[in-house]
Amino acid sequence: MKNIIILTKQTMQEAFARKVFITFFIVSAVTLILGSLLFMLTPLANFTTGMEESMKHSKIPITMDPLIMVVQILKNLIVFPLYTLGLFLSIFSVSSFIPNLLEKGHIDIILSKPVARSQVLIGKYLGGLIVVLLNVTFLVGGIWLLIGLKFSVWDTNFLYIILTVTFAFATLYSLIILIGILSQSHILSMMLCYIIFIAFSPVISKLHYAEFITNKFYKALVDILYYIHPKTADIWGMTESILKGEAIASYQPIYTSAAFLVLIFGLSIFIFSKKDY
Amino acid sequence: MEPIVVTNLTKVYKSAFGKRNVTALQNFSLEVPQGTIFGLLGPNGAGKTTLVKVLLSIVYPTAGDAKLFGQSISNSAVRKRTGYLPENHKFPQYLSAEGLLKFVAQINDYHDKNLNYKIDELLSLVNMTKWKRTKIKKYSKGMMQRLGLAQALINNPDLIFLDEPTDGIDPIGRKEIRDILKNLKDSGKTIFLNSHLLSEVEMISDKVAILNKGQLITQGTVDDLTSTKEVYEIILESLLENSLLQREFSNLQIENQEKHIYSARMEDLPSLNAMIDKLRNNRINIVSIIPKKVSLEDMFISLINESDKKN
Repeated sequence: MKNIIILTKQTMQEAFARKVFITFFIVSAVTLILGSLLFMLTPLANFTTGMEESMKHSKIPITMDPLIMVVQILKNLIVFPLYTLGLFLSIFSVSSFIPNLLEKGHIDIILSKPVARSQVLIGKYLGGLIVVLLNVTFLVGGIWLLIGLKFSVWDTNFLYIILTVTFAFATLYSLIILIGILSQSHILSMMLCYIIFIAFSPVISKLHYAEFITNKFYKALVDILYYIHPKTADIWGMTESILKGEAIASYQPIYTSAAFLVLIFGLSIFIFSKKDY
Repeated sequence: MEPIVVTNLTKVYKSAFGKRNVTALQNFSLEVPQGTIFGLLGPNGAGKTTLVKVLLSIVYPTAGDAKLFGQSISNSAVRKRTGYLPENHKFPQYLSAEGLLKFVAQINDYHDKNLNYKIDELLSLVNMTKWKRTKIKKYSKGMMQRLGLAQALINNPDLIFLDEPTDGIDPIGRKEIRDILKNLKDSGKTIFLNSHLLSEVEMISDKVAILNKGQLITQGTVDDLTSTKEVYEIILESLLENSLLQREFSNLQIENQEKHIYSARMEDLPSLNAMIDKLRNNRINIVSIIPKKVSLEDMFISLINESDKKN
């Protein structure tokens, strides 16, 4: 355990030193500054009167408080970019950790010490996870604070984004580690994760729930691909539901993504433990 | 308990389809006694670094057995007693010398109330005190090497593996490192040295082993390996007359006329003594008789060439 803590701390130190932390922080800070400028320059009345007008002309009768409605729409507008930005920055931040660790001359020193190889990877994993958790907390917490201060609406459900982004990242990070060990290329790890969360996961998720695939073979193929991949798209869907105050239909994406994480991270440890350096 | 005992160790680096397997070590056996400086010599690709990596579990053996202080190398706890300076090491650039030494001490599970004092002491030993808080990225090659030596010593190890420790260091620095290694040896530490610099190894090693293509060619003390059996350097008070030389001492070859130095190949010790008697009977004064030595480099080259011819 002590070795894991030492290596976790060292990974966080690396994140600070390599400006990973500060880059994430700056992007988050700029987002928060732009948000606060928008809120400062737009009087509250502009938001509510605009909403009241829309509600008057709506064919469906709306009984909700216009202010709550504004906050709800604002959150819905923010959640997707926030989730995407959070994941994008997180993947970018940690993708170089494993290739750096495996550099010749550096890995020799680590492995020659009385430390188990599994501890090395767990330390790297936890270090990266904590860095991302801190940064995502700063970004999401900052936006939650801005909305709360502007509209006096303190919806704690919004803070669930911290957990969902961190969890989605945790599943992808296990893949970053595996690809890093196999290829020692941070570019490849990064690309693969971006492809999964930008294209593969949304497409395969849509196909899984689509009814137009009737061919049994294709249906089975889509189902297999759906269940074995980290479901970043579905996790985003769950985040949206939480923000809307809707009940979550199924926790299956969480379970299967967690299984993906455990399997891939376990495989990474197995390969790392068997490899010569 | 010997610090290193290697028995029939084999390491084969396997390629994906087995077509380009490389045998780095082949039935290699070795024992390194405690409190010695042991030099491992060999041309590039001989398997020197692989051996060290196997002993430190950076690389896994294909067959055979290796023990450090009587314990299997697979027992990670045994590495608490070792220090390692790898060849072409790469330390985290964002750390300072102090930061690196603290990290290495922690990961070595080394507890010392006076760790800060120990760090200062080590940095002073390798002449790096004034760079204590400077980031490693600003260090020169020589400074990196000195720091590498310091990190290998931070946990007060009993066995120190050094792979090309004087690489990139100027002659004065090399002398300093040699002195450090000698002091460590005097304090009972065992030093396992991999080096291409034969003269360096010759100067400080008690024992050396020569490795070629993964196989042990020879091992022994530097004196044993460099002394040429049956060849003696004989210095006389004056030159021998040609007629006497041809008639009585045909096995003497003149090496240096001005200094009256001869070399003689003798079959055994009685033959040498017989020749001494003959010289004395001829009233020739002997200044000295010394068994002739070759340099470690000459011996190394000849052994490697012989081994290559056999293979």
